[in-house]
Amino acid sequence: MKRRMFFFSLISLCMAAPVTAFDQKGCESDGEPHRYFLVLASQRGAFYDKTGPAFPMLIRLDGERTQIEAVGTYSFRGNRKFGTVPEESYREFMKEPSAASNVMLRLEITSSQYERGLKVLREWDRRAKEGALLYRKAPMNTLLLVKEVTESLNQCGEKEIRLYKLDWSLEDTLSDEIPPAQVPFLFFREMRRLNESLHVRDDKFQEYRNAAARQAKQ
Amino acid sequence: MNRRSLFANFMSDKPVEGNPSFKPHPASKGAKRFTNALLRTHEDKEVRFYDDLIKGRQAIINMMYANCEGACPLITSTLVKVHKHYKERMGKDLFMYSITLKPEQDDPAALKKFATMHGAVNLPGWTFLTGDAFDIKTIRFKLFRINHVNFDLDLDFHASKLRIVNDATNVYTHANPYTSMFTILQHISWADPPKPYDEQLKENIEIQKRIDREVKVYGYRKTT
Repeated sequence: MKRRMFFFSLISLCMAAPVTAFDQKGCESDGEPHRYFLVLASQRGAFYDKTGPAFPMLIRLDGERTQIEAVGTYSFRGNRKFGTVPEESYREFMKEPSAASNVMLRLEITSSQYERGLKVLREWDRRAKEGALLYRKAPMNTLLLVKEVTESLNQCGEKEIRLYKLDWSLEDTLSDEIPPAQVPFLFFREMRRLNESLHVRDDKFQEYRNAAARQAKQ
Repeated sequence: MNRRSLFANFMSDKPVEGNPSFKPHPASKGAKRFTNALLRTHEDKEVRFYDDLIKGRQAIINMMYANCEGACPLITSTLVKVHKHYKERMGKDLFMYSITLKPEQDDPAALKKFATMHGAVNLPGWTFLTGDAFDIKTIRFKLFRINHVNFDLDLDFHASKLRIVNDATNVYTHANPYTSMFTILQHISWADPPKPYDEQLKENIEIQKRIDREVKVYGYRKTT
C-alpha cells in the first residue's frame, strides 16, 4: 500500500515538473487534448471601395463541438460593420476559398497561443459592444486588431510562425504605401505566402475534426 | 399650467442634473466622445470621466506615468507654471487632469508621490487619474490619437501633447507642451468661454490703441 502511494506521488511529481518550467504569464501550455487553429480570412471587392471583410478567427476543436470566435470587419447587407462576426459571414471561410478575391490562412496553434489570441479578440469584442472602439473608422480598428492578434502568436518565443511586421518602417511596404482599408487583405495574403508550409488544408482540417470527434466518443 | 411650465423650463437656464453649475453645450457628444469610465484620483476617490470631470467644464488634459524619465516631468513642471498663471480660475471653471499611461503600475499612491515630487499636489483643480487599463487605453485613443496606428501605439508620443477641451462651448483643441508659455496660454485661451460683448469691445479698443502706438514708434505693427 505504502509503496503504491509512493509510486503515484513520484509520477505526479514528474508530471508537474515541466509545467512549472513555463512560469511566464500566458505562456504555459495546459496540455489539453484539444486542437486549436487561427484563421486569417479576408475578401476583396465586397464594399464600395473594393475592399471587403477581414477578420481573424480562432477555432477550438474539442470533439463534441467546434468553438469559433471571430471579430473584425464583416459585411452586413452590403455595408461594412465591425464587431463579432456572425456565423453566416465566417462560414464561407471554414473551407479554402477558390476565388482569387478571397484569401485564407489556417494555422494550427498551441493552447497558450489560442488563449492569448482569444484575449485580444474578446477585448475588441467588448470595445465594439460598449462603443469604445479606438478609431472612428472600421478599417483602422481592423488593422490594429490583426496586428495585435498576429503579434501575440510569437510573444512567448515561439518561432514557427513567420510574421510579416506591420511597423510602418522602410521594409514594410504594405502599411506605409497602401490605404488602411486594403492593408488587411494584402497582409493576410503575405502571411499566407510566408507560412504556406504551415497552412492546414481542408482535408487535413477535416481529418483533425473527425479525430477529435472520435476521441470525444471514446 | 403644464404648457406654461414647459415653456418656462425651456426658456430658463436650469442647471443639468448631476453637476448643478456645469452645463454642457447642446452639441456636445458627451460621454460618447470622452467615455464615462470609472477612474481613481490620486486621493483614491472614484470619479466618472465625463460626468464628474468633463461635463460642462474647461479642462487641460495630459498623459504621463510616474516612473517616466523623459517628457512627463518636464511637461508637469510646465503645467505647474500654467496652473500658477490661472490660479484664480483653477478649480472653478478651469481644471487640469493628468492621466497615467501605465495604470498597471500607477496606483493612486504612486500618482500622489509623483504629484508631490513635482509640486503639483493639493493644487486646486488639478487631479491625477488612474483606472482600468481598458478604459485608460480608450481615453488615450479618444483624446490623443492621430489616426496612425504606429504612432498611436507609442505611449511616449501621447505623453507629449496637451488636450484642451471646453464641453460648455464644445471647443476641442490641443497645445504642444514644448512651445513657449505664451503659445500654450494662447491655445488654452482659445477654449475660454466667450466674454461679454462690452468687455470684448473694450479689449479691442485697447489693442487698436497699442497697434497705433507701435506703428507710430516703429513704423510697423508688433502686436500679434
